[in-house]
Amino acid sequence: MYDLFDTIISWLVLIFGVGAPLFIIFRAIGIKGFREITVYSKYNTFLYRTNPVIKIIMTITIMMVVTTSIWWIGAILTAAVLSLYITLENGKRKLYIGSLFIISTLVGSIWGYAPFVTFSTLNTVFPHFVPDVIWTWPSYFAVLGYQHTLTLQALEYSFQISFRSTAIMASALILVMTNTPTQILRTLHKFRVPDSIILSLMVAMRTVSFVLQYLDESIKIQMMRGLGSKHSKFLKPIFYFVAALQGLVPTIIHIMRGGKDTGISVDTRGFKATKKRSYVEENSIDHLDYYVLVVIVMLVIMDVTINIMGFGRVIPYN
Amino acid sequence: MTEVIELKNVKFTYLGSDEESLFIPEFSIKEGESVLVTGLSGSGKSTFIQCINGIIPHIIDGTFEGDVKIYGKNTREMQVPEISTVVGTLLQDPEKQVINYTVNEEVAFAPENFNIPREDMIKRIDAAISAVGIDHLRDKETIKLSGGELQRVALASVLTMDPKILILDEPTSNIDSEGTNQIFEFLRKEVRKRTLLIVEHKVERVLPFIDRVVVFDKGRILIDDKKENILNDVEMLEKLGIEIPENILLAKKLGLESFDIDGVMQSIHEKNVDLKTLVRDKGNDFSLRASGSVKYVSGFNLSFSLEFKSGTITAIVGKNGSGKSTMFKGMVGWMDDVHTAISNITLETPDQTIKENNIANRGRIVGYLPQSFDLMLINRTVKQELHYSNKVRGTNDMVSEINRIAELFTLNEYMNRDPLMLSQGQRRRVAMAATIAGGPRIIMLDEPTSGQDYYHKKNLGEEIGILKRAGFTIILISHDMRFVFKYADRIIVMDGGNAVADGTPEEIFEKSEVYGLRPPVEFTMRRGILNV
Repeated sequence: MYDLFDTIISWLVLIFGVGAPLFIIFRAIGIKGFREITVYSKYNTFLYRTNPVIKIIMTITIMMVVTTSIWWIGAILTAAVLSLYITLENGKRKLYIGSLFIISTLVGSIWGYAPFVTFSTLNTVFPHFVPDVIWTWPSYFAVLGYQHTLTLQALEYSFQISFRSTAIMASALILVMTNTPTQILRTLHKFRVPDSIILSLMVAMRTVSFVLQYLDESIKIQMMRGLGSKHSKFLKPIFYFVAALQGLVPTIIHIMRGGKDTGISVDTRGFKATKKRSYVEENSIDHLDYYVLVVIVMLVIMDVTINIMGFGRVIPYN
Repeated sequence: MTEVIELKNVKFTYLGSDEESLFIPEFSIKEGESVLVTGLSGSGKSTFIQCINGIIPHIIDGTFEGDVKIYGKNTREMQVPEISTVVGTLLQDPEKQVINYTVNEEVAFAPENFNIPREDMIKRIDAAISAVGIDHLRDKETIKLSGGELQRVALASVLTMDPKILILDEPTSNIDSEGTNQIFEFLRKEVRKRTLLIVEHKVERVLPFIDRVVVFDKGRILIDDKKENILNDVEMLEKLGIEIPENILLAKKLGLESFDIDGVMQSIHEKNVDLKTLVRDKGNDFSLRASGSVKYVSGFNLSFSLEFKSGTITAIVGKNGSGKSTMFKGMVGWMDDVHTAISNITLETPDQTIKENNIANRGRIVGYLPQSFDLMLINRTVKQELHYSNKVRGTNDMVSEINRIAELFTLNEYMNRDPLMLSQGQRRRVAMAATIAGGPRIIMLDEPTSGQDYYHKKNLGEEIGILKRAGFTIILISHDMRFVFKYADRIIVMDGGNAVADGTPEEIFEKSEVYGLRPPVEFTMRRGILNV
């Protein structure tokens, strides 16, 4: 028999790993908040004026730097990119939501990875690895694929690798928040991405806003009809998650019912009528874009330098 | 005049269907003609217009026979983009047509696709924007526009191609009365400048400026007649379930040759015909008192104090942005987001008072059916949908009540069907029944008439009538003044976040100009007769 205390703590730890990101996403950020950091809103600061091509190059460069350098470079870049949110429309709020989103990603990634890291991996990652066991799972947790113990090094390693994606996400969200889908896709057209793919992306980007709005409505209707009303307030995020899952099918069907009309509307306005397209707004490169390009070049130089100094994405990690 | 649209032996059967959806032996439209195309949902109207704009046979799969010629050229030999330079198409739901983020980008979409040089493009955009009167919206974001504004943006985008033929497929079904007026005003100006094909259920609004009426039934053209001769077809139209303005019905009944409203009223007065007076119920006991405010961060404030009685239907009307939907959402506790708005609305019933914004608690008192009612259909069968509220609330004492509700909404035969696979009317009945099955006796419906044809609106009116007689309190938002006049006992007019008028439909429409409402012909005639 397992000790009841161990079992309860183990399950609480497991639930924390799943529940904490859900709590952050559904309660602290909310669907409205999520919408705020995934759709464009009009404003006029340097990020809005920067050419989308430059912003795409910046995101790719950040991706390149964080995947080829030590973890704390990724952490610094995440903080640096997030701090730019303050310059956006309703900047403080966006910084707050963006930070919560990044924290939920970090918690989710750490808890989603740490219990599964094998000793052989940790042996490779950390020189002279001596496991600091902080928790021993009940043996039946092996069914979930968990290692027998959770070590401090597994948490450390998972924390470090989580930063591989956060800076890229923060940067990609800037692109989405500061450019209309049309501006982004016009850029993709210049990169010779096929028009059909561009149109699909364009409709998808515009639909994101509706999906979130309708999903929010569906969740609220379910709450109104009594979902979760018998249970404690603390379980509310779980019921929000259940409602979101249940609301997905009607939301998607509701949106898809109009898909035919979108297709007809696009086709009857000459989509793909000619191989070349003209544009009402020019996508020109100006002084500001050159400054951002300088920052991008500096990022690349920094990446090369830190790699030469031995801070590349090498093993061992520290 | 030249025939610009010609159809000969046209047959179309959708892929996977055994039934022919359209069969037109011969049909033509002359240049500059304005034609009203009407019929019930599923009668073949949309298939017909898709044959003209080339969507059939180029995009929609199926078996297509016969010939469709546009300005003498067979659509089989043209591609859709080529056809679209001659035939412009505006559809029902603006949200589904608009795909760009700003108005300018949306209006530029077609000329950009045709690779039109920038200077020429700007001229076309300016002309189109000016034609539909949306200069003030140029730099706005499309997601922030009202339905009426968005529909005019979609129309401007079509007009940039300067099509000689303009098809409008139920262009006002999903928009408010102000937007509807603007679209009809545009159409009135366009008569003779272009060939117009208007698919519309609001026959009363279109009749003044069209030349010809075409009625579809089961994929066939049943009536194709000049507007002036429509009196001969009244019986057939009634039989088909198509909305006929009351002045036309009375003109036919009185044997008049014209359905001009003044003429009909004069005749009614002379012949002493008694027009049916609509009874307005005053209701039984007070069922709900709702009061409080919603303060938006953006600055908009809503403040109201209203009392509702059981056994009544109350319609909330007003322009877009007047606070109608905010009031509903505040009442059901959906406005509790501190970043957007602060809601402080108290609900008081004879048994309890609710002040906190707890959605589930408010849901016990009031049932709310949003415009997109599909969003509440989360269960796999109609039966599960009706039992959902009781299951999640843990109240199993409602089983017999639910069976009664299923019977009331004639849902017994669909109980094991997937609700999302039912027809639009059936889905709405399921959503309404599921709302009531949760126990609330006060039902709020947000724009239930939007996008509905006459047949569905009539059914909806009958359904809410049944609920009213059963003692429910019905509160609905609508832009459809004919529906409101016919079924509501009371109208509340919202403006700038306040209830500015409250009275019977007769009292409100008497001052309709003050409130910016367009009274329905049924009211105009009754009022006119009193004043003759």
